[in-house]
Amino acid sequence: MFLRQRESLSFDRSVPGKRGMDLPRLDVPEAKDTRPAHLKRSGFDALPELSEVEVIRHFTRLSKWNYGVDDGIYPLGSCTMKHNPRLNEKVAGQPGFTDTHPMAPDALVQGNLELLFTLQAWLKEITGLPGVTLQPSAGAAGELTGVMLIRAYHVSKGAKRRVILIPDSGHGTNPATAAMAGYEVVELPSRPDGTISFEDVTDPVTGKVRKGLETLVRELGTEIAGAMITNPNTVGVFEYRFKEISDLLHSVDALVYMDGANMNALVGVARPGDFGVDVMHLNLHKTMSTPHGGGGPGAGPVCCGEKLLPFLPVPVVVRDTVKVGEGEVPKHTYRWDWDRPQSIGKVHTFFGNFGILVRAMTYCLSHGSDGLREATLRAIVNANYIRARLKGAYALHIDSPSLHEVVFSDTLQAKHDVHTLDIAKRLIDHGYHPPTIYFPLIVPGALMIEPTESEDKGELDAFCDTLLAIAKEVEENPDALHQAPTLAPLRRMDETTAARKPVLRWVKPA
Amino acid sequence: MRYLPSSPAEDRALLDTIGVKHAEDLLVGIPEPLRLKRPLDLPPQGSEQEVAWEMMRMANRNTRFCAQFLGAGAYDHFVPAAIDAMVSRQEWFTAYTPYQPEISQGTLQHIFEYQTLICDLTGLEVTNASLYDGGTACVEAALMAVRVQKKRNTVLVSRGIHPFYRRVLETNFAPHDDLKVVEVALKDGVTDVADLQAKLGPDVAAVLVGYPNFLGAVEDLTALAGPIHAAGALLVSVTQEALAFGWLEAPGKAGADMACGEAMSFGNKPNFGGPFLGFLAVKDAHKREIPGRVVGQTKDLDGRTGYVLTLTAREQHIRRDKATSNICSNQGLVALRANIFLQLAGPEGLKGLAAQNAAKAQYLRSRLLELPDMQPVAEVPYFNEFILRYTGDMAALQEACLKESLLPGLDLGRFYPEYQGCILWCATELHTRPMIESLVEVLARVPSVVA
Repeated sequence: MFLRQRESLSFDRSVPGKRGMDLPRLDVPEAKDTRPAHLKRSGFDALPELSEVEVIRHFTRLSKWNYGVDDGIYPLGSCTMKHNPRLNEKVAGQPGFTDTHPMAPDALVQGNLELLFTLQAWLKEITGLPGVTLQPSAGAAGELTGVMLIRAYHVSKGAKRRVILIPDSGHGTNPATAAMAGYEVVELPSRPDGTISFEDVTDPVTGKVRKGLETLVRELGTEIAGAMITNPNTVGVFEYRFKEISDLLHSVDALVYMDGANMNALVGVARPGDFGVDVMHLNLHKTMSTPHGGGGPGAGPVCCGEKLLPFLPVPVVVRDTVKVGEGEVPKHTYRWDWDRPQSIGKVHTFFGNFGILVRAMTYCLSHGSDGLREATLRAIVNANYIRARLKGAYALHIDSPSLHEVVFSDTLQAKHDVHTLDIAKRLIDHGYHPPTIYFPLIVPGALMIEPTESEDKGELDAFCDTLLAIAKEVEENPDALHQAPTLAPLRRMDETTAARKPVLRWVKPA
Repeated sequence: MRYLPSSPAEDRALLDTIGVKHAEDLLVGIPEPLRLKRPLDLPPQGSEQEVAWEMMRMANRNTRFCAQFLGAGAYDHFVPAAIDAMVSRQEWFTAYTPYQPEISQGTLQHIFEYQTLICDLTGLEVTNASLYDGGTACVEAALMAVRVQKKRNTVLVSRGIHPFYRRVLETNFAPHDDLKVVEVALKDGVTDVADLQAKLGPDVAAVLVGYPNFLGAVEDLTALAGPIHAAGALLVSVTQEALAFGWLEAPGKAGADMACGEAMSFGNKPNFGGPFLGFLAVKDAHKREIPGRVVGQTKDLDGRTGYVLTLTAREQHIRRDKATSNICSNQGLVALRANIFLQLAGPEGLKGLAAQNAAKAQYLRSRLLELPDMQPVAEVPYFNEFILRYTGDMAALQEACLKESLLPGLDLGRFYPEYQGCILWCATELHTRPMIESLVEVLARVPSVVA
């Protein structure tokens, strides 16, 4: 990591005549040119001319400026950066999977259909919900699918509803999703412990009153389509009144969407279907360890209750049992069911990010019932260990019992004019990826740390020791932190100019 | 459990520091009645060997083919070895979204290069770090068009666009009572200009046209741009086979205002339909309305060039319900595959590969037309896919092909009743002459239907 050499853009090193790819000999006649003259490819301005050696070196050098999970703890709260098992990668790369065509007849892809059916069965048992679609490509796509299911439910009852309730601690994707699904967002205020407030909340500074859940349900009633609730919430705290929240919403036939970004704190411990959730998504790239790939691909399956089953996207994989003789093991065949008249439609061109689903299935089989629960408990222990070790040196804005992540505030450091961003950048100098910063918005100067179950005591201690040393440095030499990072390939970046005068691609010099 | 690293003694030490006896004591925040009181009803953990065998059993249950003549939105191309080798470096595949630019310059510079290449291929000025797939790229393009074209609420969609893309678009537009999707008919395999002109009006924000379309035909974007622009609408090209950009003029240079579609062809296998690579490229004037992550070039405090995520004021984590889209995770690693593929290919490689695809498709078509039961449908320019009418027994054709481990083209009747009896064929550089010949031989043996 952190190779100190500059790597220029490949476009600047292009040399005419170099080739990194050669083609097989053409064994049929050359193509006749049937294109209209104005639709013939005129040329390219940027595509570089490089040999394979140069391309390999370019991407190898660039990679060394990245930080990955194999470099060490990657404590991004809410993002759940856990170990990516190599078996999962190997399995997903098997030609038996990668060569299969999404338009092939069902009889020819029985292995894929069995895999998808099996993964769905695991997700149903884990969430306690009877319906699953594996189509959504990421968490946000899952949210949108889930909210569209809620809409279809109300439309099927002849009523369009207007509002989605979202706590002020929620991920930004929640309100963006509600808007994409045609809803108006009404914000639910938090209590001082970070959970949803049933009562109205008066802002101590402005004196403005924000309506609590009870008031909103009473006033808006059947205008409410549902609520999107992250549980455990974004400060790592379980919404302990979840059952009451869902009962209250159900009393006006509003549905409960659970953002499952933090489901890794509940797997094997509690099931959303058991506490009133109607629909939720899972981030397989978080909970099931599929790699993040520098921004994707992920997978955001949606699980739902009985009420929403008729509306699931098409197609749905179903299993048929083939009759066998007495005493024999029953045989199964699988097929896509497209004939679902109440379905919302399709949310992915084909069946979702299949290669990611293969990895998640592998993760499930590796962990099993016992391993899944153990992973959850270890993740909670690790987060609470960090909490115990750093408490005092960093302020715990919200002191409720937390599960898989812990959120500190920079209030102790702010006295020395050192802020969350400075602390994050100093961690880089010590060779660590910083935690999630300035989120959730309800915690001032939030530092959101999620170690996951993948770290052992040694790695946790080294990380905590570093953060304690930084806390000490804040008191002794605060100015030094404003300069951080100094040991990374680059210093702090001018993001203002980047946004004001955007340069979004390389342009050939005139 | 091989993935859980702490030893029992270390675990004890962790719990002691926290001040609890058992890990379960930390669940105190979850009310007792809401906890699961039994183990999950699932099999126990498996060793690496056992899991590998079980997964291989499922992989082996799929049918393998000598040759697939099926495209229809998922194309089988050769993948250079360098791509898997590079992408399996942990620095690429285990990293997160590049929120901290100082230790994410690898990913950021790659995305900047990828953005440059997508702009080059499409002839447009701005793109993003990728979208999920072709279908959702159409959704984002259409939603962006109605944002840009204030007071216009209708999107016209050519029937020549992939039927699944259209289904995804309809699904996502359904919640918006104020927005409309209207289909434009096909004539002779391409968008019907008369129907288009009849449907253009002051409410039309954009027109989505396949390039090439689902039936393989090359739509004349330039000709369509005339009436579309005259009506004040935007022309959006939808490309499901991005290798066509090595054969066809960039949509931005042929008259399109926006270009979207699917770029899985650059360095990926069909993979049962995903993960694929959605793209959307637009004009500079529309850059602040584009959805998704965008990388920009800037300087650090010492004046050194570097890259950051930028224009974030459009995005969900800042703008919440006013964001241009809810997308955050995209298809980063698939975009990396495309970037490496395109840099290996270069301009000559891409054009050469595209020309080979065109040659193979032309050869396949000419050989298939030697069969008495295969008839041409329309004489339109095509790239690596085309349709032919089959007057024989479709089921018998399927069966004969599968018996010889050949996957035939797509029976179009399911998607286009008006093309009942037609087959969508595809050939790429992977189809050798002997493969094509064996297909023709197999088909020649399928008995004709006796009238």
